[in-house]
Amino acid sequence: MAKNIKKSIVTRVRVAFLAICLFAVAIVAKVVHVQFFEGKKWAQLQKESRMIYLPVYATRGNVLSDNESIMATSLPFYRVAFDPTICDEKHFNKGIDSLALLLSRFYRDKSAEGYRRKIKNARLAKRRYIRIHSRQLNYQEKKMMASWPIFREGKNKGGVIFEKVDKRFRPFGTLAQRTIGRITEDKKGSGLEYTYNSYLAGKDGEALFERMAGGNKPIYNATDVKPLPGYDLKTTIDINLQDVAENALYKALVANNAQYGCVVLMEVKTGEIKAIANLGKAGEGVYVENYNYAVGNHGRTEPGSTFKLASMMALFEETNLTPSDTIDTGHGRQLIAGKAMGEATGGGYGKISVGQVFEKSSNVGTAKLIEQHFGTQPQKFVDYLHEFGLSKPLGFQMHGEAKPFIRTPADVSWSRTSLSRMSIGYGLKISPLQTLAFYNAVANNGIKVTPIIVKEIRKGSTVIESFDAQDFNPTRICSEETVKKLRVLMEGVVEHGTGKHVKSQYYKVAGKTGTSWKIKNGKYIKDYSTSFAGYFPADNPKYSCIVIIDTPKSGRIYGGDVAAPVFRELADKAYARDLSLHKPLATRVITDRQKLPPVKAGNQEELTLITNKLGISTHNKSEEEWVKADSQGHSLIWKSNKLMVGRVPDVAGMTLRDALFVLGNQGLKVQTEGKGRVQAQSLEPGTPIKKGSIITIKLS
Amino acid sequence: MTKVKGWLQDNLKGDPILWGIVIAFSLISILVVYSAIGTLAYRKGQGNTEFFLFKHTGLIVVGLIFMWFAHKINYRYYSRLSLIGLLLSVPLLLFAWKFGTTVNEASRWIVIPVIKQTFQPSDLAKLALITHLASMLSKRQLNIDNIKETIIPMLFWVGLICGLIALMNISTGLLLFLTCMLLMFIGRVPMKYIMMQILVGAIAGSLSLALGQRMNTAISRIENFMDKDETVFQLEQSYIAIATGDIFGKGPGKSDQRNFLPLPYSDFIYAIIIEEYGLIGGVLVVFLYLAFLYRGMVAVSRSYGAFGGLLSAGLSFSLVIQAMVNMGVAVGLGPITGLPLPLLSMGGTSLIFTGISIGIILSVSRSEAELAASSTKGNSPGNIKTNFSSKMVAHVSSN
Repeated sequence: MAKNIKKSIVTRVRVAFLAICLFAVAIVAKVVHVQFFEGKKWAQLQKESRMIYLPVYATRGNVLSDNESIMATSLPFYRVAFDPTICDEKHFNKGIDSLALLLSRFYRDKSAEGYRRKIKNARLAKRRYIRIHSRQLNYQEKKMMASWPIFREGKNKGGVIFEKVDKRFRPFGTLAQRTIGRITEDKKGSGLEYTYNSYLAGKDGEALFERMAGGNKPIYNATDVKPLPGYDLKTTIDINLQDVAENALYKALVANNAQYGCVVLMEVKTGEIKAIANLGKAGEGVYVENYNYAVGNHGRTEPGSTFKLASMMALFEETNLTPSDTIDTGHGRQLIAGKAMGEATGGGYGKISVGQVFEKSSNVGTAKLIEQHFGTQPQKFVDYLHEFGLSKPLGFQMHGEAKPFIRTPADVSWSRTSLSRMSIGYGLKISPLQTLAFYNAVANNGIKVTPIIVKEIRKGSTVIESFDAQDFNPTRICSEETVKKLRVLMEGVVEHGTGKHVKSQYYKVAGKTGTSWKIKNGKYIKDYSTSFAGYFPADNPKYSCIVIIDTPKSGRIYGGDVAAPVFRELADKAYARDLSLHKPLATRVITDRQKLPPVKAGNQEELTLITNKLGISTHNKSEEEWVKADSQGHSLIWKSNKLMVGRVPDVAGMTLRDALFVLGNQGLKVQTEGKGRVQAQSLEPGTPIKKGSIITIKLS
Repeated sequence: MTKVKGWLQDNLKGDPILWGIVIAFSLISILVVYSAIGTLAYRKGQGNTEFFLFKHTGLIVVGLIFMWFAHKINYRYYSRLSLIGLLLSVPLLLFAWKFGTTVNEASRWIVIPVIKQTFQPSDLAKLALITHLASMLSKRQLNIDNIKETIIPMLFWVGLICGLIALMNISTGLLLFLTCMLLMFIGRVPMKYIMMQILVGAIAGSLSLALGQRMNTAISRIENFMDKDETVFQLEQSYIAIATGDIFGKGPGKSDQRNFLPLPYSDFIYAIIIEEYGLIGGVLVVFLYLAFLYRGMVAVSRSYGAFGGLLSAGLSFSLVIQAMVNMGVAVGLGPITGLPLPLLSMGGTSLIFTGISIGIILSVSRSEAELAASSTKGNSPGNIKTNFSSKMVAHVSSN
């Protein structure tokens, strides 16, 4: 008996083994068949190399203002393509006529019959990919189109393909356009977009595509490399002040029919730039942000009288002079270092104090003082300029900062008149931003800080890198004694000197006007560059500011007349807005900013679009269509709320509309109680769905 | 040299040919997986392709270690262990179904807390079920056609485990069910009962399909396979790999199709083997599996008790059938299943369970060799046959 059992088992094993052997032979036979009978066909297919890896572009990071408003962002647009072979006969025949009609009405370039023929022909020819139209749709249009016949069957059953294209969008239009900058496809550009491209760009991914006539069709494959979205850039720009700066500058440029102008407003202690406007003439009465005059080489000019502050600083550092000491400025043109020099107003001021020299912006007075104390050792004066940090670029956070040009006595071009001319701001070149940083140092008690415009580089709300004035080695450039004297001088300019136009009854301003002749073909011509640089409130400086109006053509030529009103308008606004300058109510401002809308859950694309419109930054942690929101700091984070087939979805926090859509899609019957957003659901999320179950959702 | 041989004989017990086959598979696996995953790892930007080489090699070594330990244990203990394994795998499968980690839309994985390693309960369930089935069959050889005592308990476990697995992974569940039916056939269960079970299985299978997560995938895959006009993307790429591999192959590490085939290191590794090592490599791999099965089968004719033979047969058939199905898919003989190629594909903890399975097969062959040795020394050769029956009777009575 036992022997029989064993024999039977052994026989059966052998039968099974033989069956497996047969299958093995079949495998080898199939391999041989593929290699020898179909080999050419497949080898040919490989040669055509229909599979290619193409980059999947990463979403570019946002550029944000100081209060997280989005200044530049990437919005999704869509191109519609179609795989006409996917839809089944029933749906296709039923929907094609109305689809063609809708397409024709939408694009208005072909008749309904034209669209119908295009799609039908492609279907007959078994083409797997046609582009319906090259126009890019916005999200709303895409959503509408996705509800059309055939298209509404989706990608896998209807064959519609919406290809996402990101477009750069600036919610504030041209505001701070040049500062935000741009970048072209060949990586050329300007401004922050260009300077910080490596952070903003993110990392492109890669995905497998099949080449098809008319375009490339994505194949969803495990080997795809997902793109990494770019980092966000938080700037120091205050949208409101920026707006005021641009408007005031624009008005002044138009009124004076000037060539170009720029305004920079900087926070004294932190060095943060709150507004930076640059406008150049594009036509009669038309000005656009075409170049960053405040920062770049084209804005680098002979500063003229605003540079007298540097001369005074050197003077006070070197000597014991006080603003009340006197000097004879004579009565008209005088020989200084062997060359005649006159006052801008033509006449002379006689014997005046050092303070008045500065207030009246006396060329003769300034040059005489400098000649007296540095005439025998001009190198010492130049050394002071080096110490003040005027001969080197600031190391500003933007590509293309101008390099100052300052002669030294060792240069071949140095002449006997160089020192006196430099003392009044001629024979050297410096950019407006560099001048401002110098003025800011006086406001900041002699400590020079580097202006910053990029505050943080962030991944969502995680700070990757943050910048502070402290990071750029703030240095003391003059003694506090000198600062006191210089402040008296600058306040005098506004109180009873050339800068009377900026005087305000609410707060005190200190500053200096400037008017310099322009050079053309090596000769000074009757064109001027006018400027005003200063800070306010003078007793406790909060902001420093510079205004340049270049080549005004409407008769007025003095900084006090042309540039100062722009300064005044911006200062008024900044003062009025900055509650901390009145009384300490700053906390209320902050809570306002933190308030986020009650977004809890919903469709990711919709939520992103809404929040972008509201100027709230969002951060994706999920690629899912449905997400839950989580707030972190000032921004919202989307977390995955994946829908699984045959499982009860989690609709908590969704609006009724979204919840009905999601639940209905899963075949659930929905009963509702109350109004508002979903607070509770009767079926536990994630549990399997029984056909026709009823779910009750409570809203509140 | 003799020292090495002696050491090997002392430490690696059991069928030496089986050991040789497993080592050969391990080497091929390291080579092919490294080639298949290398460019992928590189493209994904991490740059260190060696990471996968070391990880995979390490897992293979761990598998071999488990195999070594498993082969040291007398296979009769597995009979008892199997019931514990089964009882354990039911809640684990349920847990994975409800809360498991999702890969490709199906939750199959459980993450083991402390070591953060993912693990598929179906691997454990498979091993336990086959062992237990072999044990049940051997114990009931004398009344094999009794429905109440033999067929029902077996059908209970087979149906329960395969059904639970099918909730998450239809092909694994189906394959395990068929392997069990084959094992029952070998274990002398009458054909009419097997047919009946297949019918019950078909009903239960479609039920769990409807309940589970993979219904749509299964339907579309079968539809794709049936559609003769159009070759699915994966298969097209696989054919290109096979066709361009030709007789001698493109050479190690020279595959082009690894860039386009999904999971070239797992589901479609056989296509990569043919592309790089040609028809010759492909035939060699098939031959190695058949040799493996043959050695596992030899244990049946040599065994002294039905349990050892059935256990060895069940485990080796289970492994080789899966291999055949995987290769069959890669060459287009069946619909896409997503089953890895045992002993060759890259895989985490499943390598450990494969190692344990082979360790058990080796343990069976080791015990027989030892028994044969002792019987030639002490007893007369005629005793062997009586031994067979007495062992079996002992088994039956011990129950």
